[in-house]
Amino acid sequence: MTDHTVKAYDQDLAALERTIAEMGGIAEKMMADAIDALTTFNVDLGRAVVASDPQLDALQRDVEQRAVLTIARRQPMAIDLREIIAAIRISGDLERVGDLAKSIAKRSIKIASEPRLPRAIIGLKHMGELAALQMKDVLDAYAQRDVERARSVWARDVELDALEDSVFRDLLTFMLEDPRNISFCAHLLFCSKNIERVGDHATNIAETVFYLVTGSNLPVDRPKGPGHDQDALLRGSVPAPK
Amino acid sequence: MAGYTSRKRTSSVMMALCWAATIFGISWLCLILGALLWNGFAGLGLNVFVLDTPAPNSEGGLRNAIVGSLIMTTLGVSIGTPIGILAGTYMAEYGRYSKLTDYIRFINDILLSAPSIIIGLFVYEVAVVPLRGFSAIAGVLALAVIVIPVVVRTTEDMLLLVPVQLREAASALGLPRSHVVKKVAYRAAKTGLITGVLLAVARASGETAPLLFTVLSSQFFSLDLTKPMANLPVVINYFAGKGYDNWEQLAWTGALLITMAVLVLSISARILSAQKEKK
Amino acid sequence: MTDMTLNPGASTAAVPGAGLPEKISVRGLKFYYGDNLALKTINLPLYSHKVTAFIGPSGCGKSTLLRVLNRMYDLYPKQRAEGEVLLDGQNILAPGQDINMLRARVGMVFQKPTPFPMTIYDNIAFGIKLYEDLSKSELDGRVEKALRGAALWEEVKDKLGASGLSLSGGQQQRLCIARTVAIKPEVILFDEPCSALDPLSTAKIEELIDELKEHYTIAIVTHNMQQAARVSEYTAFMYLGELVEFNLTTSVFTAPAKKQTQDYITGRFG
Repeated sequence: MTDHTVKAYDQDLAALERTIAEMGGIAEKMMADAIDALTTFNVDLGRAVVASDPQLDALQRDVEQRAVLTIARRQPMAIDLREIIAAIRISGDLERVGDLAKSIAKRSIKIASEPRLPRAIIGLKHMGELAALQMKDVLDAYAQRDVERARSVWARDVELDALEDSVFRDLLTFMLEDPRNISFCAHLLFCSKNIERVGDHATNIAETVFYLVTGSNLPVDRPKGPGHDQDALLRGSVPAPK
Repeated sequence: MAGYTSRKRTSSVMMALCWAATIFGISWLCLILGALLWNGFAGLGLNVFVLDTPAPNSEGGLRNAIVGSLIMTTLGVSIGTPIGILAGTYMAEYGRYSKLTDYIRFINDILLSAPSIIIGLFVYEVAVVPLRGFSAIAGVLALAVIVIPVVVRTTEDMLLLVPVQLREAASALGLPRSHVVKKVAYRAAKTGLITGVLLAVARASGETAPLLFTVLSSQFFSLDLTKPMANLPVVINYFAGKGYDNWEQLAWTGALLITMAVLVLSISARILSAQKEKK
Repeated sequence: MTDMTLNPGASTAAVPGAGLPEKISVRGLKFYYGDNLALKTINLPLYSHKVTAFIGPSGCGKSTLLRVLNRMYDLYPKQRAEGEVLLDGQNILAPGQDINMLRARVGMVFQKPTPFPMTIYDNIAFGIKLYEDLSKSELDGRVEKALRGAALWEEVKDKLGASGLSLSGGQQQRLCIARTVAIKPEVILFDEPCSALDPLSTAKIEELIDELKEHYTIAIVTHNMQQAARVSEYTAFMYLGELVEFNLTTSVFTAPAKKQTQDYITGRFG
């Protein structure tokens, strides 16, 4: 892309993009560490993840402030306008990813005190890997303005949803097997939900990248896997409360 | 630094020379005006306006010459002004981009700077000879010919100063060209056009040479345009240097009157154009 | 760069707005200054009761195009237009066209406010009197209506006899708009109407343009892209005498289809 006639404008936009990249790196690492802490019952790692969240929050504020200033100062148009809107949206998504990672890390600290059923965690580990891959791909797509890659992340979210369903099913089974597992599995249920949400944020970012590059939006309806309906699962597996 | 010092020295020397030249020029002007005022005022009195031109060494005034000058200048200007304004309007409004305008402007400029004696000679040939005698009509014609180029020039210049946007804005309302010129361009250039006419009057009222060949002059009070008519410039020309004291005096007074008239006209023109700039 | 195939929203395959009534249709228009080709085959609609903005760097031909629409170029020799400009289906470039009638139908407001050297009242009455024979009271009514239409009435109603030149720049420009509106045109062309005005006056004119489009078809040339984005429904981007892009304003300023447009509106030109 040709440079702006006003050099400082390019610097503003570049700074914005750098900050997003930095946020992406932190969110990715928080997510990976949170899953590690969960699967290895590593309390220290969990605490480290919790401790790094404020940094992400600060960066998000920084992005918003820069974006607002740039809008006020340069009245951006077209690609520049989309660039700035994308930065605001993506920073919001990344900040949420950080929150979700923090939430997983907190639960990892709690369950570390009574580690049970390591086999229940295997599914979560898969989900975590898939979510991490989605994050990595979508951040690459943003960095390279790669529409196809963004689109594939967007289309792949259905896999994570399917995986969540199966984890949900497993955890229900464990809880039905032995009520003493309930507390442990309930924590894991929340974790799986959080990981699934990370996938949703990756999808949001993918949509933003698509808009950023093309100026138009991906369809509202994302491809959905069959039977992605936990209520139905729930109704089928547990007797309805009287 | 040496270069700077020498440049500074050259500068002050040049400055001094400029001052000297200016003072030299202005001092002559002051001397002339001074002599004129001194000698002219000496003879200024009621008689100048109520008595006609006298014989040598007798009582008299300039009444016939003043009236003659007023009549001829007025008539000359009233003939020359419409022609000049129309021609100038053509050049600025209708034919602005045509070759004809360039030719007219060139010829008009020559006419503007032509020695007035040539104009006198020309009118003598076309008006005095066929009519078999000097007449006020011929003088009026000669003055008109002098007025025309001045008015043409100022009219064109003043109309060209009217912003193109104003003309476009008027045309954009669907006004025909004649309306654009009459209602908008003339209005915008009004003070400039009046200035031009005043300048033409000033020019015409001081001319001697063309009148010498066309009206000559007359000792008597006359309002007959077919006869010679007294007028200030020729009277001055005639009375000056003949050795009669009273003639000499009247020549000075006449000169003072013309100078004053021209001065008043020029100053009014200045005031008018200054007002225009303020707007 | 933007890949067209991924951009269904900004497709240029179909003329945007196709199907709307066209007040003016420019067809294969070429314009010459002497031997110099200034507009290279322009095709463009001006939709009825819409505001169309023309943007582009200086010398791109946007003002030239505007001046073809009321044949303002006719004032100057050696300027000529080829092709067709249809106003309600009638080719205004045809030799028999009555130019004064055309200009009464297609009014124009210029960059520099150009009040005539006469009173505020006469500035407006002047144009009306040319076309209509009205009684004094009817004329007063029309003058007031025009001044109200240009949002100037309240400011000048007590000094209609004052010179038009005594008004401020923004008021002068609204006087010019009132003058144009007074003769009931169908189309109003604005040639950079705010470039000599302060932001407040600019806002007033923009508000006015917004109100005027209910009754008139409007074309505006502007160097201020934010202004084009604010006031217009359609935007035409011109460059070097060519129409590069014509589209909905919302598309042009958020997702232009052409790289040249994008470079221009984002300040990456040259």
